[in-house]
Amino acid sequence: MNPAFAGVALAIIVGAVVAGSARNARSAILGLVVLMVAAPLMADPPAAPLGLAARLVAAVLAGYLLWVATRGHGARTGGTLIGWPTEAFLATAAAIVGYASHGLGAPGVGPALAAAAGFALAALAILPVLNGRDILRIGMGLMLLLTGALLVRTSLGGTPDELEDILTAGLVATLGGAVAILAIAARSDGRPGFELSATTPHRSSHGADAHPIEPR
Amino acid sequence: MSLVVYVVVTFGAACLAIALRARRRWALGIGLMGLAAAVVAALAIDPAQTLVIAGSGLATSAYLRLFLVLASLVGLGLTVAGRAAGTRRDAPAVTLTILGSAALTMALVDPRLAVLAATTGGLFGVLITLTPGDGRAGATVGILETRAVVVAGALAIAATAWLGRDLSQLDAQPVVFGLAYLAFALAVAMRFGAIPFHLWAARLTDVVPETALPVLTAIAPASLAVVALAWIGTSVAPLAVGLTPERYVVLVIAVSTIVLAAVAAFVQDDLEHVLGYSIVGDAGVIVLALAVVGPGALAPGRTWILVFIVARGAFAVWTAGIRAGFFTGRVADLRGWARRSPILALAFVLGAVASVGFPGLASFDARASLADMAVVSPLSTVLEIVMLVPLIYYGRLLVIGLSTPDRVGEPVMSWRPRVARPDVAAVGHWLRRTWDENRAFTTAFLAAMLAVLALATAAGAFGGPVAAAESVPTVAIPDEFGRSIPSSALPPAGSPSPSPSAVPIP
Repeated sequence: MNPAFAGVALAIIVGAVVAGSARNARSAILGLVVLMVAAPLMADPPAAPLGLAARLVAAVLAGYLLWVATRGHGARTGGTLIGWPTEAFLATAAAIVGYASHGLGAPGVGPALAAAAGFALAALAILPVLNGRDILRIGMGLMLLLTGALLVRTSLGGTPDELEDILTAGLVATLGGAVAILAIAARSDGRPGFELSATTPHRSSHGADAHPIEPR
Repeated sequence: MSLVVYVVVTFGAACLAIALRARRRWALGIGLMGLAAAVVAALAIDPAQTLVIAGSGLATSAYLRLFLVLASLVGLGLTVAGRAAGTRRDAPAVTLTILGSAALTMALVDPRLAVLAATTGGLFGVLITLTPGDGRAGATVGILETRAVVVAGALAIAATAWLGRDLSQLDAQPVVFGLAYLAFALAVAMRFGAIPFHLWAARLTDVVPETALPVLTAIAPASLAVVALAWIGTSVAPLAVGLTPERYVVLVIAVSTIVLAAVAAFVQDDLEHVLGYSIVGDAGVIVLALAVVGPGALAPGRTWILVFIVARGAFAVWTAGIRAGFFTGRVADLRGWARRSPILALAFVLGAVASVGFPGLASFDARASLADMAVVSPLSTVLEIVMLVPLIYYGRLLVIGLSTPDRVGEPVMSWRPRVARPDVAAVGHWLRRTWDENRAFTTAFLAAMLAVLALATAAGAFGGPVAAAESVPTVAIPDEFGRSIPSSALPPAGSPSPSPSAVPIP
């Protein structure tokens, strides 16, 4: 096992646990940025400089956009309901499964530790994605899920080529931007939190907006 | 490369429109000009070009060109109709980005890269979910859409990576690769909002204008479906793995989507939901194409996709035409709509014929062919009959339209064009007045034009079925020694022998 990869995998998983369990929105974003910056480093051989640079810039940009969206007081997210130690155990168990099943039926071309980190992130993403009650937490879960899928992809197919890294960078930055825009829109009603709306906006067509006349 | 021009035009115009969004007229003008330029750029695409770029490849094809031409025309029609009937200021920009993403998705020869482009394109749609005045409710719908797009993207990324490598040395039962097929098929179903993944799509119709809905739920996922069809035909089918259980799952999703979405459209009380469920129901046929694991599904599946995007676009513009002409989207308030607007009646009938079809029409034959390949006879005959179920909501709308009006939307004769005497002293004022007085006529006319386009596409015009039957293009990418090798993920196009799983499900 490559100790450098082990360190990177550990940073990814710790970042994911923080992102998935912190109630302070900015702490969660910090964890997210750590894992998104570390994820492209988990490739053997390392990614081409242009692709790697694009991935790193996209990770920082996504984090920055989310940081902007959480300006002001009361920027809190739901955090975990089961506690961070449980999340950490869950991530560890999933990482072991990912490491042991590296290749998923055929020899994997990338590092096994990428599979371990990818499975851990996917496991940590399940609760926020399925059960998240606020926009930021669901968004965090989606970032975890996407990064987990990209890590599994690296473990199966090896180091992505430059164009793939550039497209991946575009996807990561777009997702960060989309979640940030939605988070800002949610707070536009003056309330500080990111909770989901309980009501559905109604179109005017639901009312009787034609002009009734006397029956013929 | 001619495709690059298309991508630059769409993304360039979209960026400009978003940058100028504070100036609505400028943004709209740039969006419209960008869409018109996109139509021209799509027509100018050379259908046999390849480009090696940063270790991967792009390839154009006749099918890609036709898809982009039709999608750009539909996008332009939807945007103009939206201008007349009411839409969001970001709709043109989002349409442009989705068209650009679709071009990249379908041109990238490596499906591992194509799914990244398709997922990115889907995310641009959240801009339209932001509702003025109720940001939290719009954002709630937006995050549900984002969730569907990203979960589908994650499944597709994992699936394409799973099979996109050397599989000559297996250390597990080959049947596990059926999970990769299932993951990609579910990803496509999720992107279309197929049943049971339809809740986000249903809520989307609450916040997204009718003229933007087909862009988000038809054109954007259609490009992913094209990739999925090619990937299943070239990567899954040659594996010669029994996939019957996985195909059962996909088949059940497809049939339940076709039937239940049509029933849902039938019982809805407002046209936007009818439109939303009609898109979901027609997408069920695309999911059915994914249930046919074999190269035979490629041609009918891709033919249906062409008809799908144009016919759903035409139906959306018809919906906008109803709203612009009768100031309502409530079905119960629309008694006699067909009597009061012959152009909308014509658009409706042509659109319905294009969608449902009849024997001899390319769209109908494509659907029947998919049913034959998906299940054995006589179940295939039953399935072909079941796929006529959209007739129930078309029939309901037509019966209401032909019945005696019980109320009048003003102005009664708004379907006719009205042009006042031009005032040379105030041309701008005259143009604005003419535009305002002809909103209903404009949308009705556009609906009729798109319905004619849909019928032509359904009849196999523009070379649709021939283009759809072409093999998937590949690119020779030089290796480290400068030797040309085929793209790794997509084997050279040919006619791979049908796998055992390509037989109809008994």
